[in-house]
Amino acid sequence: MKKTAIVVLAVMLLLAQSVFANGAQEGAAAPAAQSGPVHIEMWYNATQTEVGPLPNDWVGYQILKDKFNIDLEASSLPSAYGDQDMKIQAAAAADQLPDFFCASREVWLRLAQNGMLADVTDLYAKMPNRTRIMFDEGAIAYTTLDDGRSYGFATPSAISKNEGLLIREDWLNKLGLKVPTTLDELYDVLYAFRNNDPDGNGKKDTYGYGAFVETNTYEAYPGRRFEPLMGAFGVEGTWDMHKASAGLQIHKPEFYDFLVFLKKVIDNDLIDPNWMAYKKDDFRAAWKQGKFGVFREQNSAYASQNNFTPFDTNFPDGGFVIVEPPVGPNGKKSIGPSVRGLRIWCISQKAFEEGKADKICEMFEWMADGEGYELCGWGIKGEQWEIGPNGVPVSINGEKGFDGPIGQTYIQLRSMAFNYGSDYELVSRYPVWTRKNGKQQSALWALREMQEKTWTNAAGSEALPVPSTDLKTYYEQGIAEFLTGKKELTEANWKAFVEQFDKLGGKAWEEEGVAKAKANGFLY
Amino acid sequence: MAKKKKESVAVRLTAADKGFNITVNTLMTFLLVIIVIPLWCTITMSFRPNDYLGSYIQGMFMAPWHWSFSAYHALLGNNGFLIAFSNSLKILVFGVATALFLTIPLAYGLSVKDLRGRSIISIFIIIPYVFNVGVVPTYILVAKLGLRNHLFSVFAPVAISTYNCLIMRAFFEGIPNDLRESASIDGCNDIQTMFKIILPLSKAIIMTIGLYYGVQFWNDYFRPMLYLDKDYLRPLPILLRNILLAAGMNEFVEANAFGNASIESIKAASVFMSAIPMVIAYPFIQKYFTKGTLAGSVKG
Repeated sequence: MKKTAIVVLAVMLLLAQSVFANGAQEGAAAPAAQSGPVHIEMWYNATQTEVGPLPNDWVGYQILKDKFNIDLEASSLPSAYGDQDMKIQAAAAADQLPDFFCASREVWLRLAQNGMLADVTDLYAKMPNRTRIMFDEGAIAYTTLDDGRSYGFATPSAISKNEGLLIREDWLNKLGLKVPTTLDELYDVLYAFRNNDPDGNGKKDTYGYGAFVETNTYEAYPGRRFEPLMGAFGVEGTWDMHKASAGLQIHKPEFYDFLVFLKKVIDNDLIDPNWMAYKKDDFRAAWKQGKFGVFREQNSAYASQNNFTPFDTNFPDGGFVIVEPPVGPNGKKSIGPSVRGLRIWCISQKAFEEGKADKICEMFEWMADGEGYELCGWGIKGEQWEIGPNGVPVSINGEKGFDGPIGQTYIQLRSMAFNYGSDYELVSRYPVWTRKNGKQQSALWALREMQEKTWTNAAGSEALPVPSTDLKTYYEQGIAEFLTGKKELTEANWKAFVEQFDKLGGKAWEEEGVAKAKANGFLY
Repeated sequence: MAKKKKESVAVRLTAADKGFNITVNTLMTFLLVIIVIPLWCTITMSFRPNDYLGSYIQGMFMAPWHWSFSAYHALLGNNGFLIAFSNSLKILVFGVATALFLTIPLAYGLSVKDLRGRSIISIFIIIPYVFNVGVVPTYILVAKLGLRNHLFSVFAPVAISTYNCLIMRAFFEGIPNDLRESASIDGCNDIQTMFKIILPLSKAIIMTIGLYYGVQFWNDYFRPMLYLDKDYLRPLPILLRNILLAAGMNEFVEANAFGNASIESIKAASVFMSAIPMVIAYPFIQKYFTKGTLAGSVKG
């Protein structure tokens, strides 16, 4: 009897929790009119994640308070995009979104569809300078839902077309070879780099091609570093974004031709065999050690002083030439797919209802031009930078300069200010410097050269649906097995592989992606 | 005479014994080499100078007089690193103290066989262990309690680990009931019995469970990432992840945030430095560890 009573009491206590667990905040009265600065909580993408955060004494806080009556509370998001998405979505679920924050398109879409983001369609007009510099039709379309309203500000977060195909020029000269223009010529160069001792040390320790597996939503396996080779067959990127032939590249017969070519390169030992195991750091260390002579690399990782110095020390007379991608058997060529690299700045619906939208726009506009642009982009004039002889900001005061370890904390909001395209921004970021052999080099020169090469417009492909984990695993593992020889690469085997891929969801994935691309006007 | 006779007795090993010893020693040496190699690689990488051009294997045999301390200099001179380190220490100390303060009385209470409602309370404790509610409800709870941006949010939601509690309970159940009864006869109440009789006998399990909690809180990345927005509150795992991702995330920024040290040596140094507290603490706790782990091995 007593035991029964205890059990009943315990169950009632347990059920009572659900009664008393309701929050006391529902139906609260509207907030009283604010006196004093408008408090804005902002989550931002740090420019450099490993240095300290924006300092508490950053002068921008005081300027925003004095000029715009804004009390800004800025916190950096986690460095990994996956962690950022998780944090934002957890905050959204708890109705604790900050007032202003940066999100990926996938998260933005989910939040916008759930009514958690403010309609910003009418706010572009309140930021005329920023809109003129950054928000073209494509950027506005990027954040527009089916109702025709925009729910975020899509801003550039990266420089576009900033990678290129590099070849060791000193190796070409030593072996008496010309810069290859076709795929066959490239193959001959790879062969020579592997077998003809291009570094002249008497050892067969060099390879033709170097790469590592680097994939993302629009560059599927084997990944970005192989895109120039894929481009020769017209199968660069995950998606074909042409209206007439929209779909997954894996369904194109030329994809098989590309695999045959790559398999030939692998079987003849012309590619650094560690390509499957390398991480980015390993790959970069390898070309700086002279392990291979042809590879795709990013402009700054290749040409800026800090990154190039180890290669320069090792090979003071060595150098690279940035080349056009090789032309394939059908006349096609491409460095790879080019996307816009946009991140979306969102105003939470809660902040909008609290009347903070106008203040947020004032702050955002201030950061796009003039004083705020310079402060966020380079720091304090006279302390972190000054105008150099060529009329662009140059870093001063050593460590406290905008490229020094202390100064970099003051430019953590750079991604909110920069449009990542103008010479004014890039000349200061990529200064000209002198190599050990006396030659001048600049990551900006490399960038401009790379941007002039042949790319494939694939804007929007980064926003298309991603495959399920199982499908992705099947896809990547299957191709790896063909390339390593574990499965024989024949037309029959490849056809069977693709059929199974479609059965596992590949066909559905393609249909969903094409439908979304059409609906959003991504196809051209 | 008897003592001399004792000292002269030697154990004769058979051929099988010798073979067994050789096999075991060889296996252990092999395992030691497998464990030590990556550790040594990390340590030597942290001392690698910026202009080093050899391979990773060559770097493992680099002479100490060629080592560079620029990575450690950069990290220790970096304000962010010191702040993160101190945050991690605070979470470790307060987290372990809170966890033990809550876990010990709960485990002891459950170990008392004549506790009324013991089985029902045990069910309430095991249910959340089996059924995890997930991230969102926990986040909502922490946010509604106003714990966001407090270091408390990192260890309070997980201050009582059901697994550790059950291990401790099993240990306490192993203490003879006669001790409790004699303490009671001598006039001790339950609290005094726990503090004066039970806990002094439980050093092994307390150290062991304390170590479990300590490792958990020291390495915790997820909860700080989720609940701590303020940069000055973030502990070492967050900074470490930022550093480890730096090469991939920040390729648009040309300058090295850490001065002259290479990014690889910075990564290795930060990994090594963040492991130091556990490495220092473990030898002191080791003598309790084996005893404590085995003591709680019979659960349920």
